[in-house]
Amino acid sequence: MTTRLAAPFPPSRRRRRLRVVAVALAALTALALPAAALGASTGPVKAPVPSRSAASPVTFTVGILNNVDSFNPFLGIEAESYEMWALMYDYMINYNMTDMSPRPGLAKSWDTSDNGLTWTFHIRTGVKWSDGKPLTAADIAYTYNRIMHGSTESSSWGSYLKSVQTVTAPNPTTVVLKLKKPNAVLPLLPMPIIPKHIWEHISEKQVKTYSNEPPNVVGSGPFRIVSGKASGSLYVFKANPNYWQGRPHIDQLIFRVYNAEDTLVQALKKGEVDFAEGISPLQVKALQGQPNIVAQNGDSPGFDEIAFNTGSVDLKTGKPKGDPNPAVLDPKFRFALNFAIDRQAIIQRVYQGGGKPATTIIPPAYKQYQWKGPQGAFAYDPKKAGRLLNAAGYKLNSSGQRTMPDGSPMQPLRLYARSESPTSLGTMNFFQGYLKDLGIPSKITSMESGKLTNTILTGDYDTFQWGWYVEPDPDSMLSYFTCGQRGNWSDSWWCNKTYDKLYTEQHDSTNQAQREAIVKRMQRMLYYAAPYLNTAYSSIGEAYRTDRFHCFVPQPNPGGILLFQYGVNNYVHIEPAGTPCQTWWGSTQTAGQGGSNGSGGGSNPVASGSTDSGSGSTVLIIVVVAAVIGVGGLLGGFALYRRGTADSRE
Amino acid sequence: MTAAAEVGVEPLPDVPQQRARSSRRSTGLWFLVRKLFGAATSLLFMLVVNFFLFRVIPSDPVRTLARGRATTPKQVAALTKTLGLDQPLPVQFLTYLKNTATGQFGVSFQYRQSVGSLLIDRLWPTLALVGTSTILSILIGLWMGTLAAWYRGQMFDTISTTGTIVLYSMPEWWLGLILFFLFAVGFGPIPGVFPIGGLIDPGVNGSSVHGVLNMAWHLTLPVVTLTIAYLAEYALIMRSALLDEMGEDYLVTARAKGLRDVLVRRRHATRNALLPVVTLVALNLGFIVSGAITIETVFSIPGLGLLTTDALKIPDYPVLQGAFLVFSASVIVANLIAQLLYGWLDPRVRL
Repeated sequence: MTTRLAAPFPPSRRRRRLRVVAVALAALTALALPAAALGASTGPVKAPVPSRSAASPVTFTVGILNNVDSFNPFLGIEAESYEMWALMYDYMINYNMTDMSPRPGLAKSWDTSDNGLTWTFHIRTGVKWSDGKPLTAADIAYTYNRIMHGSTESSSWGSYLKSVQTVTAPNPTTVVLKLKKPNAVLPLLPMPIIPKHIWEHISEKQVKTYSNEPPNVVGSGPFRIVSGKASGSLYVFKANPNYWQGRPHIDQLIFRVYNAEDTLVQALKKGEVDFAEGISPLQVKALQGQPNIVAQNGDSPGFDEIAFNTGSVDLKTGKPKGDPNPAVLDPKFRFALNFAIDRQAIIQRVYQGGGKPATTIIPPAYKQYQWKGPQGAFAYDPKKAGRLLNAAGYKLNSSGQRTMPDGSPMQPLRLYARSESPTSLGTMNFFQGYLKDLGIPSKITSMESGKLTNTILTGDYDTFQWGWYVEPDPDSMLSYFTCGQRGNWSDSWWCNKTYDKLYTEQHDSTNQAQREAIVKRMQRMLYYAAPYLNTAYSSIGEAYRTDRFHCFVPQPNPGGILLFQYGVNNYVHIEPAGTPCQTWWGSTQTAGQGGSNGSGGGSNPVASGSTDSGSGSTVLIIVVVAAVIGVGGLLGGFALYRRGTADSRE
Repeated sequence: MTAAAEVGVEPLPDVPQQRARSSRRSTGLWFLVRKLFGAATSLLFMLVVNFFLFRVIPSDPVRTLARGRATTPKQVAALTKTLGLDQPLPVQFLTYLKNTATGQFGVSFQYRQSVGSLLIDRLWPTLALVGTSTILSILIGLWMGTLAAWYRGQMFDTISTTGTIVLYSMPEWWLGLILFFLFAVGFGPIPGVFPIGGLIDPGVNGSSVHGVLNMAWHLTLPVVTLTIAYLAEYALIMRSALLDEMGEDYLVTARAKGLRDVLVRRRHATRNALLPVVTLVALNLGFIVSGAITIETVFSIPGLGLLTTDALKIPDYPVLQGAFLVFSASVIVANLIAQLLYGWLDPRVRL
């Protein structure tokens, strides 16, 4: 389930990326032994309800599956690191819970000049760094300038300030961005604001290896890190009592890194952690029957796709390179396959229900940008696929095999899956079946994602399965299909001048309605040209103990993830079980959602359906008993054998 | 393995005894020099191989690291420069040699910290886990092997030999999972008394007495797992080595002198049987630092094994180079020690 990301705050990718061992273990465990069975039979331990007192601080413990790679916001790349920076620092712009649209952060409000070239942000007063110094517009201008002019700094965040000429702070409450040309992506500015009075002593050379670890990290966010090393497995945060959005309702926040998913789930059941982040749909299913635990697959703004080589070329000479199958170079052929895949079945069988059937490259959370398509545009209709193939000249021969339009036999399509992702291989297995139904031969190869990246660049492929994470503005995702991205992030080699023109138009647009219309037109073009067949909108499995904490609000609301969101609102607003939920801006965004979240799941914003995990565990117990008998038999047999040989030795 | 060192070898008939004695010193020195030279050559060879080995991996670290972001080609180029990958390979190789000489092995691509300090951070959990269990399994294994050979064919032999073989044939992580579910999660009447994972509880100071005990508590299950998984190796070697010795005449002599059975075993048979065991033990001690990836995974212990596997996925060349150099160096050094020990225990090896 590794996903490439087009964005910061990459909740889905890394977390999954580094888990080959864990996944292999989990898979083997499920087959070999007792993981689920033994766990299910014990059930969760009743955890003490946290209460706030001076003696025992309220501690919220989150179990994660991957460690932070750097607390320095200019260096790290892991999703975990983005989460830590968001806890430690503030942002000029924050995001809504419903659809991740921008809302005021450190900037109370902002306005643009008529030509769209000057953006003025009005900064709130009274915000303080953890060392007591005031946070002003000067800190923001310093951060942005550092990103624009530093090499390390710009390689991490520079693309957000691409069209910006200057950033200035004429007074402590105003930040002015002057642009070279209008930029519709603003105000997407997801860079943490760092304290000038600390970082100005860290040179451009030093920042390359500056770890920014405790003690003495100065920030302004809702929490302050008090212990932990990036490569370590335990991070401890203390609440910032002076946080400008109000003191968090928990006193201490702890992240514990678990190296295997099974272990993390058991830690949740046992009460060693209050929240488990990034678990698989299978684990979610197993946890849904448990008392005092809510488990869900939260929608995450990303998608998985089957991508085609639409025409790899040598960018210098413009001549074709690589060895794509001629069939995949034909848009009609690719478009026909859109109707050959049963997305619903893939979600149910490959994703275990975690995820939603995908349509375009824009996830449903950003509904203002998503193109809906005509009736049945994404329906499973193999007859229609066959008709379209026939019409395009790919006819069936007497032995039921598709032929090329010139009548020659079709070479098998090469389907590349990523070896570290079970869903990748699963999707390709289904795809192979659907192709076979149409008489198209194919062959699946599984490879490591690093190798696949190289293969994509050389053009030696027909199709592969992968995914993207889409940030709250569609711009960067759209950009990956422009001609200029071939050889960089384009992985389909698709190139269309009209699309490129539309891309520039929407990027420079100063009219939101107009921009939305262009973005939809671009998706329509992609639909018919079919460089991608989108298969699934991603989800992330999460679970928490309702007897410990409640009042989580999903993002997007409803249906979204609970932690690792855009922003860290839930860490600030959750309450210990027994304390009523308070109303805050995010909890009231959707009527009837998020306000109350009693234990047991009645009025949860998060579905906590119960499943028949009982019968599942019975089966597994039988397996365990069989295993025990097997091992016993082995022991006994061996003992007899040993006895025999020992006797003969004497 | 005959008991050369123990009972004394008669000088070869055609070598005058006087000469043999005078050349012993120089033979020993020559042996030492030869072995040291061999070890140094292997290490140099590893130093070179190490650099090129990981560059064969078909992934580009820059692309892996840049993948999470909307990056322009210019940004990708800047990142390449920061990581020093824009330099031609020979220059990178020289930088690598220079960084290795300082003992810091350069800066990790992923963590942007000195690889030396990363390795040290991860080294001690690994040493605590694999070191403790290796030593425990050596002690228990040798003891079991001795008894099994001495009382061969009897109840103890049957049980210990079969038991250790069965445990040895189980994958470590599987064994680890069974113990994990029995004693950390709890099963039926067995309460899950041990922690689920990690090295230490949050808020506990690792350098205090309480902290050390807390860590020991966290390490108990993984150490037990590895100990019983490794037992067979030592028990079986010891058993077969001792069985070889047990037919020897000198044991009959010892018994004829009226020595008690226990003393015959301890003073004569076991000491001679230890020769092959020494080799195995020394070699395995060299492997301690390379960690136990699967067990580190099951019990969430941040050790060197996991650091290395994670680094492979970038691939984080400096970390891989540093880690593998440390791994190979420790194996080479352990090997050297084994050879020297062997030469000392059995003088015939020196020739």
